Amino acid sequence: MSSSAVQRQLPILLIEDEPSVTAFLRAALERRGYSVVQASSGADGLQKLEHGSFGGVISDIRMPGAVNGAEIHAWIQTNRPALRSRIILISGDTANSETQALLANSGTPCIEKPFRVQQLISVVEKTFGKP
Amino acid sequence: MPVRGTKRSRNADVALPKVKKAETRAHSKQAEELMDLAVDAARSRHLPEFLKRFSARAAAMAEADWGGVVVFEESGAKLHSATELEELRNAPGRKWLVNKALEISRDAQVCILPQEKSSTCVFVPILSSLNERLGAVCLLRPPRALHVHERRLLEALASHAALALENFRRFSQLERSKRNWVEDIDAITDYIVVHDKLWRILRTNRSLASHLGVPPVALVGEAVGTLRQLAETEGALPCPFCVDTKQPREEHIVSARDRIFLVSTSRTLGVPDDDARTIHVLKDITDRREAERRYRELFDSIQEGLFFATPDGRFLDVNDAMVRMLGYESRDELLRNDVGSYLYPEPEARERILHQLHSKGVLRNYEETLRRKDGTLLYTLQNITGVRDASGRIAQMRGLMLDVTEQKMFQAQLQRERDFNQKILNTTQSMILVLDTAGLISYANRRCYEAGYREEEMIGRHLVDLVDSAQGKEFEAALETTAHGHQVENLEARAKRGDGTLGYFSISLSPMRDEQDAVNSVVVVMTDITDAALLQAKLAHAERMATIGRLVSGVAHEVNNPLAAILGFTDLLIENPEIPASAHESLEIILQETQRTKNIVQDLLSFARQRPVQREAVQLGVILRQTIKLRSYDFTSHGVEVIEEFEEDLPATIGDSQQLQQVFLNIVNNAYDAIQEAGRRGVIRMSARRVGDSIEVAVMDNGTGISDTARIFDPFFTTKPTGKGTGLGLSICYGIVRAHGGEIQCWNNDNGEGSTFQVKLPVATEAAMEAAG
Repeated sequence: MSSSAVQRQLPILLIEDEPSVTAFLRAALERRGYSVVQASSGADGLQKLEHGSFGGVISDIRMPGAVNGAEIHAWIQTNRPALRSRIILISGDTANSETQALLANSGTPCIEKPFRVQQLISVVEKTFGKP
Repeated sequence: MPVRGTKRSRNADVALPKVKKAETRAHSKQAEELMDLAVDAARSRHLPEFLKRFSARAAAMAEADWGGVVVFEESGAKLHSATELEELRNAPGRKWLVNKALEISRDAQVCILPQEKSSTCVFVPILSSLNERLGAVCLLRPPRALHVHERRLLEALASHAALALENFRRFSQLERSKRNWVEDIDAITDYIVVHDKLWRILRTNRSLASHLGVPPVALVGEAVGTLRQLAETEGALPCPFCVDTKQPREEHIVSARDRIFLVSTSRTLGVPDDDARTIHVLKDITDRREAERRYRELFDSIQEGLFFATPDGRFLDVNDAMVRMLGYESRDELLRNDVGSYLYPEPEARERILHQLHSKGVLRNYEETLRRKDGTLLYTLQNITGVRDASGRIAQMRGLMLDVTEQKMFQAQLQRERDFNQKILNTTQSMILVLDTAGLISYANRRCYEAGYREEEMIGRHLVDLVDSAQGKEFEAALETTAHGHQVENLEARAKRGDGTLGYFSISLSPMRDEQDAVNSVVVVMTDITDAALLQAKLAHAERMATIGRLVSGVAHEVNNPLAAILGFTDLLIENPEIPASAHESLEIILQETQRTKNIVQDLLSFARQRPVQREAVQLGVILRQTIKLRSYDFTSHGVEVIEEFEEDLPATIGDSQQLQQVFLNIVNNAYDAIQEAGRRGVIRMSARRVGDSIEVAVMDNGTGISDTARIFDPFFTTKPTGKGTGLGLSICYGIVRAHGGEIQCWNNDNGEGSTFQVKLPVATEAAMEAAG
């Protein structure tokens, strides 16, 4: 429980390339009392993951650049066991078969864009716990 | 006289010394006279003269007043005498004498003369060595008894007469037969010449002499070489007709300038060598030879084979054509004994011919396969006549033979080609038809009937009747073009298929010409390209739909980001207590519209989705009934009849029952809308059946039909009034059905009323059922 308590105070890493979405998410999470560290791309997210400590990761699946949500998910599975079940994916396109395969295999929670604030908070609280 | 006679007769029996001397003298005189008579008889060549002398001598010897001889001849009895009867006094009648002579038997007889009793006539029969009566010796003398010695004398005289008569008769017969023989020889029209060893002509017959224009005797003694004028020969011998003088018999043919002779030669070997004779008989066989020559020429020059053969198969004679036909070197080779058995590849064939020949006598146009010398087969047509012997058995076969190998080969080749062509016509996957210039079908290949057309709807009918009426004119024009000699290729037309449905055909029309180069019919090759056309259309559609799917997916994703921000911030604003209540209403509207936008994007994504959300065994029958139930209120209240034709025991498919229900609901709603629009009493016929590995669900309505069946599944393609639908309903259906591995398509009904939507879904495999749980 102590580690969980420690982690609870750790910030949530928010990886999202869309600034407007990032802004909304940050506002919503911070309003609920979560601290947020944001990364504007998959690569940025990975770098931050390597050098920082986070209580959870919220990542968009489809992002421009070399690293996408699926790779973030995979990196965490390998390198940050503590965060394995503390990932929430955001999808703009669940019709994509790659996305579907990822979700089906890992059981990782996923929120489909566009979503209501209540939907987001309920998934976040369930996955990361209340701040 | 009688005393003397008695004495004489006694003289023969009893010897009295005195009388004996005189008697002996008389006796020996008689014997001498008889001897003279015999010599006379032998020397005489003239019978009447001899008989005269004989009569006189006999009368003298018998001491008679008169003597005569009656000779019996075929022409009648005839009297010969030295002194004519009529010169005598008291002579009997010639007739009486002759008749009496004919009457007497085998013994001498004395008859009294009828008018003159003082005289008698002694008749002594003349008998041949065979006891045949040749005549009678007649002696007139005074009446007195016939003594024994007198009788003996008379008999001796008679036998001398007999000897002479017989000699004369034989001689005259000989003379006659000799004369006849010469006449016979002269009567022979063949030329006969006899020559001796020294080449001298001994004799010729009259024909030969008259041919040369001389009397027969003129040639006798001439050299036989003079007869060369008859026929010039090349022989070295003096005789033109002798070839080998050692041969007792010869026969050969000699040709003259314009005549041909068959010379038959016989040689007699005379007892003395000098007497040897040669007889030539020259038979003029010019006509026969000519006939023979003509026959032979015909026999050999005729192109048909001619043969004479024994029933056991040996040729007796054949002509050149026959030799050539059977491939032999020469006639002699073909006439050899062993050819017969080689000739028939099947030994029974000859038996067959013989059997038929025996029963019918002749065989007309009899087909038989023979073997040539080199072993190749000869096909023949024969006319054979059987010549029977006395017992009725076939003794000889005579026939005429035609070589029909070429015709046979040609026929076989023709047949092969015909079979080959027939095979091509029958096995091709295209339908091949022949039309007359009026467009009536006169021939349809097997493929047509395999495709389901019936003969009665093809033969004698217009092909254009099968073509979709919309394209009838186009087809008629193509037919017209072909009738004018031009080919029409790959005309694509909708036409009635064998099962009655409409299909797509590629039609090629080619003109077929007669010997005068006029187009007399049209060959039509029709290929059913329905499946290919449909497949192509389907592929094109699927590709287009995939492109749209990718586009939609991309757009949806791009729209979702700003939408997420709008929705999120709106939520945050509404949550914000600092926002005045007046702004809340606007925020709610933003919220609603954002939600609506979200739904549209969701629908678009459903269209583009590639996999069903849920994977479970789905009973389509249950889903279809539920679907109908959902709309039953509307249907009944608007008088729409729903006909259910669901096959029993439909298998399950794997998928998402919610999504599938959405598909059928969508289709049924469309049907209902179309019926409402058409304004007629609506009927929706729903059927579900298994076809192979698919379940086919069809929803048929009698509504307005679809204006563009090709684009009906495109997103935002709608025929409905604005606001009635988003134009995504059928796109979603398409996406769902595709995601289930199925197909959805639609068409306007053939009867022109309404349309049909068909959904095909795969039957769940056992493995899929297990995986689905």
